[in-house]
Amino acid sequence: MTRAGLTIVAVALAAAVAAPFFLKPFGIFLISTWTVLTIAAIGLNLTLGYAGQISLAQGAFVGIGAYTVALLTPAGVPFFAAFIAAGFLCFAIGWALGYPALRVQHHYLAFVTLAFTTLVFLVLRNEQWLTNGIYGITGTPRPTLFGWTSSGARDFYFLCLGVLVVLSLATWWMLHSPWGRAFVALRENPVRAQSLGLDTRRYTLMAFAIGSSLGGLSGALYAPLVQFIEPNSFALGLSFNLLLMVIVGGSGNFFGPYVGALISVLLPEWLRVAQGYYLIVYSVAVMVMMAFCPAGVLGLVERASRLVDGRRKAISGTALHTGGTSK
Amino acid sequence: MTAVLEVSNLRKTFGGIVAVDGVSFEVRSGEILGIIGPNGSGKSTLFNCVLGQLRPSAGDVRVDGRLTTGMRPCDLNRLGVSRTFQLLQVFPQLSVRDNLVLAGQEHQGSMASRLFGLSDAGLGDAAEQMIEFFRLSNLADEPAGSLSYGQQKLLDAAMAFMAGPRLVLLDEPAGGVNLTMLGHLRERLQAYHAERKATFVVIEHQMEFVMALCSRVLVLAEGRLIAEGTPHDIRRNPTVIEAYLGH
Repeated sequence: MTRAGLTIVAVALAAAVAAPFFLKPFGIFLISTWTVLTIAAIGLNLTLGYAGQISLAQGAFVGIGAYTVALLTPAGVPFFAAFIAAGFLCFAIGWALGYPALRVQHHYLAFVTLAFTTLVFLVLRNEQWLTNGIYGITGTPRPTLFGWTSSGARDFYFLCLGVLVVLSLATWWMLHSPWGRAFVALRENPVRAQSLGLDTRRYTLMAFAIGSSLGGLSGALYAPLVQFIEPNSFALGLSFNLLLMVIVGGSGNFFGPYVGALISVLLPEWLRVAQGYYLIVYSVAVMVMMAFCPAGVLGLVERASRLVDGRRKAISGTALHTGGTSK
Repeated sequence: MTAVLEVSNLRKTFGGIVAVDGVSFEVRSGEILGIIGPNGSGKSTLFNCVLGQLRPSAGDVRVDGRLTTGMRPCDLNRLGVSRTFQLLQVFPQLSVRDNLVLAGQEHQGSMASRLFGLSDAGLGDAAEQMIEFFRLSNLADEPAGSLSYGQQKLLDAAMAFMAGPRLVLLDEPAGGVNLTMLGHLRERLQAYHAERKATFVVIEHQMEFVMALCSRVLVLAEGRLIAEGTPHDIRRNPTVIEAYLGH
């Protein structure tokens, strides 16, 4: 990462740490939601943006993670054990869901994952003995760590932010290892990748499993954040919303999910001044954005920075040329 | 000389169409074998059957004596068999260096060790050498998609050599390349062959390229092997002339 990039990340992190001291409880709830949904969007960005496997199932994995924690913690399982269990469970289910991706691609794969989301929704709604059906589960406790309790809104936000930072670093590491290069190869040209010795089968399954696992970990924080979960929260709408975050932020760009989730969580709130029309304004804003910058917000920023660089080089080239001829 | 690749009675049908019809040949260690034939003669299908992209309807393929018929391309590559494709196949968004590291990284350690190991899988120096060898030094950090067609062909060939393969199958390496770049590509391939004693099989339409590069040539027509010999003999073979000119 360049020095300018590091500076931007440091400033953004400092702003994220300072933000709850200047916000009211609802504001803190919103930025906590941002941290939680960013984790799920990072997972989807890995599966879709890097490895090129479209998935409309990320919302379902958030649901599986949320219900895992909501069911295990009242049974006496410590939060962090339930949190890790949610990650492992989603890893295993994600791995299994990856198998159709070995046979079908693009919109066919989208339909397979869409069917999976519907299946999870139906299980959450109909298996009342386990999930309490449409009545949902309330009061998932917020965790305590070495005597420090995160029951306050600000404390829980810092816990979510800490988890986001740790998972971001782990994802950064992975994407800058040979695995990251392999995922990109899988997206760009799987046939050539295979001819170079890449076990595309294993990398596809791994991309699905790790992406799903991040969805599960996001859900594991979502349950204690909202303290009331019910099946509708994890229906197709959430999966589409997460897809929107990845694409609006910049699919295949490491920082895309952070920006996309910020826009998706905050923009509807800012547009509330438009009252009943806010969803219309939001939808139009997203359509305009996609029409003019299909590579997402960060794609637009990259394009602008290349343009500025090009002009700067052109100007310095002209200056050099002028200087040369004047001598 | 021992055979690196042995193909016996290979046959591939698509419905009622016989694309490859009982082809047998062997490739000896250290040679550059050319395979030529008119359009639709089954050359690329033969390649794809040998390399696991297609499953042959009948026949065997052996690499260093080991039966590899129907083996996955990634497993074959790890056995030391590498290839290029007829249509250009580089990874456009990765840099030239990353394309080369990618081409070698799966031969380094296990999947887990690649996750926790170095970002370049310890292939930084090897990639630099390959970049220098194929004279792409000033383009090392450029995205492969921004290179000219000829430069991408060079990169494509360099990627095939990155893991130090025993056998490289080049599918129309000269296709769409201008004359200057073609000479450069041929010279680099000859230099690589002389330096590393690598074994090549080259499918090509550009006859001058094949005749200058290969020590032995096989001719396919309508899925069958119709001639075999030195470039000099092949040029004068009446069966080959008839297959090409159609009289």
